[in-house]
Amino acid sequence: MANVSAMCTSFKTELMLGAHQLGSVTLVSRTSLTAPTVDTLKAALYLASGSLGAGTTTYSATSEVSGTGYTAGGITVTNATAPTSSGTTAFWTPSASLVYNTVTLATAFDAVLIYNSTQSNRAISVHNFGSQTITAATLTLSMPTNGAGTALLNLA
Amino acid sequence: MSNDIPLIYTSKGNLPEADLRMEVEWFVADEYVKVVKRHYLGDELVKEGADVLSFKGAIGETLIGIVK
Repeated sequence: MANVSAMCTSFKTELMLGAHQLGSVTLVSRTSLTAPTVDTLKAALYLASGSLGAGTTTYSATSEVSGTGYTAGGITVTNATAPTSSGTTAFWTPSASLVYNTVTLATAFDAVLIYNSTQSNRAISVHNFGSQTITAATLTLSMPTNGAGTALLNLA
Repeated sequence: MSNDIPLIYTSKGNLPEADLRMEVEWFVADEYVKVVKRHYLGDELVKEGADVLSFKGAIGETLIGIVK
């Protein structure tokens, strides 16, 4: 046997849980240091003319959709399943579909931004699903299987 | 007994389902599968909804933050 250099899988999971703090950062209080509350995540829709991507750092109303039935900032993400791991990959997926009920969004949009509304609206991920409009109906974004390599967020 | 006619909520109010024409369109891409349902009153679009179905692994792969 030999020791093998690697990032510990448990550490990847714990990053998603906010269990480590390797440098100073200003956070919004999570009430308790020993049993912190889970942050609230939100999902906002963005126009196809927007430019969100890997460089997006926070939620912004710029290029966000607007229309009947849609509230700026988007909807709350259902998060009942904590990050976990399988093999060497840590992963997380919202525990329910993202559903925008009875909206009218007349200008083409193509992406959703997942962000942490508790922690100063810090961006988490952007997902493109092709250009779309909605007229007096519901937009449902179904979540992928919550597994290694298939989940919405993976740390491999 | 009820003689209610099934209605569909649209941008023109609640309309009899039988008065509307529905079209379904599928979009298949590497990162997603999407089905769009459109209801028309004559030639006018009065309802358009969409369900985005994630491909297994596709979205996750585009979001992977490699930390090794």
